[in-house]
Amino acid sequence: MIGAQHVMTHKKTSYDFFLILATVVVLAIISGICVYGMFYFKFAQLQNMAPAIKGAYMERMNQIVSPFIIALIVILAICVPKRLLPTGWLNRFALVLLLLIGVVVWFWGVVMALKVALCVTLVLQCLVLVLALAGNQRLNFEKKGYWLRVGSSCMHLGLILFILDLFFYKQQTLHLALFWVCTVATVLGMIGCFYSPYLAEIMVRRRRDGQ
Amino acid sequence: MNLALLTTQFSQIGQILISLILVISVLAGALGMLNAASKQPVAIQHAQLMLLLINLLFLVGFALICWLHYRIYLTLPLQLPKEMVPWLNQEIGTMNATSAYAFPLFDPSHPPRYIIPLWVENEKYYFWFMCYAIMAFLAFRRSSSHRLQGTLLIFAAAQALILFTAANPFNDPLPKFFSEIRAWFSGGLNPMQQFGEFMRIYPKMIFYYNTPYMWLHPPMLFLSYSAITITFITSGFMLLQRDFEIETLGYDYAKFGYFMLTLGMLLGYPWALQAWGPNWWWDPKICSSIMMWAIYSTFLHTRLYANKRSMWYFTSILGILCFVAMVFTFVSSFYFPGEHTFQ
Repeated sequence: MIGAQHVMTHKKTSYDFFLILATVVVLAIISGICVYGMFYFKFAQLQNMAPAIKGAYMERMNQIVSPFIIALIVILAICVPKRLLPTGWLNRFALVLLLLIGVVVWFWGVVMALKVALCVTLVLQCLVLVLALAGNQRLNFEKKGYWLRVGSSCMHLGLILFILDLFFYKQQTLHLALFWVCTVATVLGMIGCFYSPYLAEIMVRRRRDGQ
Repeated sequence: MNLALLTTQFSQIGQILISLILVISVLAGALGMLNAASKQPVAIQHAQLMLLLINLLFLVGFALICWLHYRIYLTLPLQLPKEMVPWLNQEIGTMNATSAYAFPLFDPSHPPRYIIPLWVENEKYYFWFMCYAIMAFLAFRRSSSHRLQGTLLIFAAAQALILFTAANPFNDPLPKFFSEIRAWFSGGLNPMQQFGEFMRIYPKMIFYYNTPYMWLHPPMLFLSYSAITITFITSGFMLLQRDFEIETLGYDYAKFGYFMLTLGMLLGYPWALQAWGPNWWWDPKICSSIMMWAIYSTFLHTRLYANKRSMWYFTSILGILCFVAMVFTFVSSFYFPGEHTFQ
């Protein structure tokens, strides 16, 4: 989505706009928490402390940031199906998703609910990517362009994978394998998203040369 | 060739180059000020030529840095007496058994050599400002606004001044590196001391100087910092006028900068796991980098709606904030303690 604006056009205030505003607010709060963490680390002189105290600090910071990571995941989970569904169905989907998360939190806890939300998002994002790769025109993107759509889908897939991968932190082999998948997806996504006109030009030229 | 002679030659040639960069940059900066303040372009062709010359001098200096590093690679292998090798390898083997990441065993036929990246110590500023000079030249050629062109020159001059006065890589080449290896290469160590010294410098060689990540993570961040500087300048102009040409120019550099920043940060992740283990999350530098990335992401998202008047200004302010966050992130390495500290 970040790159879906090569040429600026007039846009009405939309669902998309409010989702972006919500993303902006959450990212701003996460930035504030990061600044707090820096000064806390400095003034508590954590660099000189025992590993257990450092561990407690990391745990505390994780707890502070987790509601906003949850918010980011929920926004992502709503953002992804908007490519597939019209607004009416999207609202219904958001409602069902929130209910599902509520039920999972009630029975299995917050961590499991986050994993469920991320897995649902991941499956949907994979579907969006497959449809984008197939050149499906019914996907709801702000901008047209094959490579831009594929790139945007790929980049968001990378972000979802990165957050999901944090849950596998202690299983190092899986953690690193997923990390590299996420990195490749993000890089390919950024290339597609940011440089789609050049990619399209290269493809057209290659096709022309092949004929 | 004697290493002292090598560094002396490096310093002498480098000082001439950096003095030339400074003189031309100051002249270009003065011309930049005139253009930024004037309604009409002033000697803009000369200014472009000066910027080109600055770039060429930067590239020659960079080639000189490459040469020094190559000479270090050739001249400074960590050699050990053959009788010590089995004992040393046994110790390394024992360490490897309890560690997630292994040290390579010592091979006397191919002793370990320093492959020092080209952006350590003061050289990182050189690389960073050289990248800016190249990007400024490209932006200069693309822009039709003489005020913007002038501002690009002012920033180039300011960076050359910082480089010459506070971060000159030719003045005293790689002081930390040479002080680290001084004891080893001074000779006169008994086998026990030699072993201790080897175990002190070898891990840093493996996990810092010679790691492939060091060739990827820092330069990508410096490329990103240079692109953010261009975006900062265009964002400042966006606050003054709704000029879509300047906005598009800034956005092109923002895309490149975001690409480099994201990839650079991602590539730092497995390296941090390898070099520091798990206890580095929420380190001050990590915090500030996440903050900077979050602001940058916000900038690119709000840019989608920059056609709205309020969002145009909000996007411009975020572009400026990205630069402030970048400076804060970099300076934090000096002020805040942690794994990344330069203190």
